[in-house]
Amino acid sequence: MNLRNSRSVGACSLLNGIEKQDADSRRKRKIAEITQALNTTPVDVAVLRRMAISEGGLLTDEIRCKVWPRLLNIPVESIPEQLEEVQRENNKDYNQVLLDVQRSLRRFPPGMPDEQREGLQEELIDIILRVLHKNPQLHYYQGYHDIVVTFLLVLGECLATALVEKLSTHHLRDFMDPTMDNTKHILNYLMPIIERVNPDVYDFMQQAEVGTIFALSWLITWFGHVLADFRHVVRLYDFFLACHPLMPIYFAAVIVLYREEEVLDCECDMAMLHHLLSQIPQDLPYETLISRAGDLFVQFPPSELAKEATQQHSLESPASTSEDVQSARRRRKEQLRPPQQQQQRNPVEVQRSALAVVQPTARRIMRLAVMGLTVALGAAALAMVNSALEWAPKLDLLFP
Amino acid sequence: MTDAESSLEFSTSLTSSLLPPPRTRIFKIIVIGDSGVGKTCLTYRFCAGKFPDKTEATIGVDFREKVIEIDGEKIKVQLWDTAGQERFRKSMVQHYYRNVHAVVFVYDVTSAASFRSLPAWIEECRQHALGQEVPRILVGNKCDLRHAAQVSTELAQQFADAHSMPLFETSAKNPHGAEDGSHNHSDHVEAIFMTVAHKLKSQKPLVLSQPAVGNTVTLRRQDEGEEPRANWGCNCWRS
Repeated sequence: MNLRNSRSVGACSLLNGIEKQDADSRRKRKIAEITQALNTTPVDVAVLRRMAISEGGLLTDEIRCKVWPRLLNIPVESIPEQLEEVQRENNKDYNQVLLDVQRSLRRFPPGMPDEQREGLQEELIDIILRVLHKNPQLHYYQGYHDIVVTFLLVLGECLATALVEKLSTHHLRDFMDPTMDNTKHILNYLMPIIERVNPDVYDFMQQAEVGTIFALSWLITWFGHVLADFRHVVRLYDFFLACHPLMPIYFAAVIVLYREEEVLDCECDMAMLHHLLSQIPQDLPYETLISRAGDLFVQFPPSELAKEATQQHSLESPASTSEDVQSARRRRKEQLRPPQQQQQRNPVEVQRSALAVVQPTARRIMRLAVMGLTVALGAAALAMVNSALEWAPKLDLLFP
Repeated sequence: MTDAESSLEFSTSLTSSLLPPPRTRIFKIIVIGDSGVGKTCLTYRFCAGKFPDKTEATIGVDFREKVIEIDGEKIKVQLWDTAGQERFRKSMVQHYYRNVHAVVFVYDVTSAASFRSLPAWIEECRQHALGQEVPRILVGNKCDLRHAAQVSTELAQQFADAHSMPLFETSAKNPHGAEDGSHNHSDHVEAIFMTVAHKLKSQKPLVLSQPAVGNTVTLRRQDEGEEPRANWGCNCWRS
C-alpha cells in the first residue's frame, strides 16, 4: 500500500537521460494522438477523454482550449464571439461575488502585473454574474469563483463563459442548489470509499468524529481553492472534465488514503484530524493518485456506494448524539463481519457480506498500482472511457 | 501553505514541549458573522501573533489553535473560523457547534448590513441548542476605518447590553501599516480572546478536558446562579 515508494526514480544520470528522452517522445506521441482525435469527423471524444485522464493530462493550455469544450460536448462553432452585457447592480449575488473575487489574489500567477490581474478579476465577476443571470435556478456559492477563475485563466472570457455555464448545469449543479443539502450528500460518499480500501483509517476517522467538512472546499472548487500550483489545478481539471461528476470525491478519498500514516499517527481528535486533513500536501504524486482514483471508481462505482452514502447522512444528522454514532458504528461493524460469522437474514446483509469479500481485491489492485503504474493506468483509463461513455447521455438523469 | 494556516504549526511546537501534563484543558470557541467582516483575520491574528498577508473566502470551516497560560495553567484555545455565506451555515457548520464553550460574534463597523445580521446569528446559536451559560462576546471589527463607520459604538453597546454580551471594537489589521505587526498589541485582539479564556476558566466546576479517547467532554456548570450574565468581568475595550 505504500505508494510513496513509487516516487523513487533511477539515480543514474544516464538512466535519467533515457527517461527524459522517453518522456519527450511519449509527449510528442500524445500530442499527435490528440490532434488526430480532434481532426476526425466526428471528433473522437473517447480518445480525448482517455488523453485527459492518462499521464500528464492534456499537457498545454493551448490543447486545453481545444479539448475541454469537446469533453463537455460543446460545439466550438456555437460559442458566440460577443458576450452579453452584464447587469451588475440588480444581481442578488453581486455583493458576495465581488467580495470573494476581490479576495482571490492568490489564484492569479504571482508575477502578473496588478493592472492585468484587476482586468481579469472584472472578467471573472462578469462571467459569474452572466451565468447566474441566464440560469436563475443556480445559486452562487463561495468557492464557485475558484472554479471559474481556472477556466478564465486557461480559456479567456468567451470560451470560459460557455464552459462554465455547461459545467454549472451539469457537474456543479448539485453545489448550486438553494441549500447545500445535496453537496452534503455527495460528501457522504467519502467515508464509504475509505472504508472499502482501508478500514483502519475509516475506523480512526469515525472515532475522531472528524466529519467530512475538511474535504468540502476540495469538492466544490475541484481543488482549485487549496492547491497553490496552477499546473496541478489544470491537470486535475483535465481529469475531472473527462470523468463522472463524482470523481472529485474519489480523488479526495485517495488523498486521505495516501496520507494513511499521518492520519493514524494523528491525535484521535476532531480538531486535530480536521486540521491535518484540511492542510493538503503540495507535493502529492498527482499522476499516481489520479490513476488510483480511476481504479477506485471502477471498483466501487457510485451506484454501489449510494445506499451507504444515504445512511451516512442519517448518522450525521444534527439530532444524533455521539452515543448514537457509536452504537450505529457497532451495528455497522457487526454487519461487516466475514460471511461465515454472519447469519444472512436479509438482502442488505447479504450485500454487505459481498462487499467484505471484495476488499482483498481492492488491496490487490493497490499493489498493482504500485508495481506497474502504466499498466494500471491504462486499464483504469480504458474502464473510465467506457463508464464515461455510459454516463454521458444520462447525466441529466443522474443529476436532475 | 498559506500564512493563514501556519498558525497551528506555531502553536503545536509550543505544545509538544509542554506535554505531557495529565490533561490539557481545551476551550473551543466558534467565530461567526457575515462574510467579509474579518473572522479569518481575527483568528489568525490571535493564533499566529501577527496579521495575515492576504485572506481568502473561508469555505466551510477552518481551524486554528493557540496554547495560552492562565494562572500557571496551560490551556489550548481552539478557534473555529466559519464561512460567512448563509448557505454554509444551514447544513455544513452545525457539526462545529457541538461542545462549543464560547461564541464570538463579529460584525464590520463599516457595514450596517453585517450589524443587522447579528440577530440572525444569535438565532442560529439558539437553534444549535447552545445554552445561556455559554459565554458570548460581540466584536466590531475594522474600527481602523473609523471615517467609514456605519455602526456607532453607542448602537453596538445597546445591542450588546440587550443580549448580555461584552462589546469589543477592534481592528485585525496592522494599524500603522508596518510590515511586521507582531509587536503591536494595541489592537486588543489578544485581549478579546484572553477575556473569553479567563471567563471560561473561572466557570469552575466546568470540566473541559481532553480524555485519552480523544473526545472532548463538556460537563455543564453546576448550579451557579449569582453571577451576572451581562458584561461579565470585563469592561468594554475600544481602541
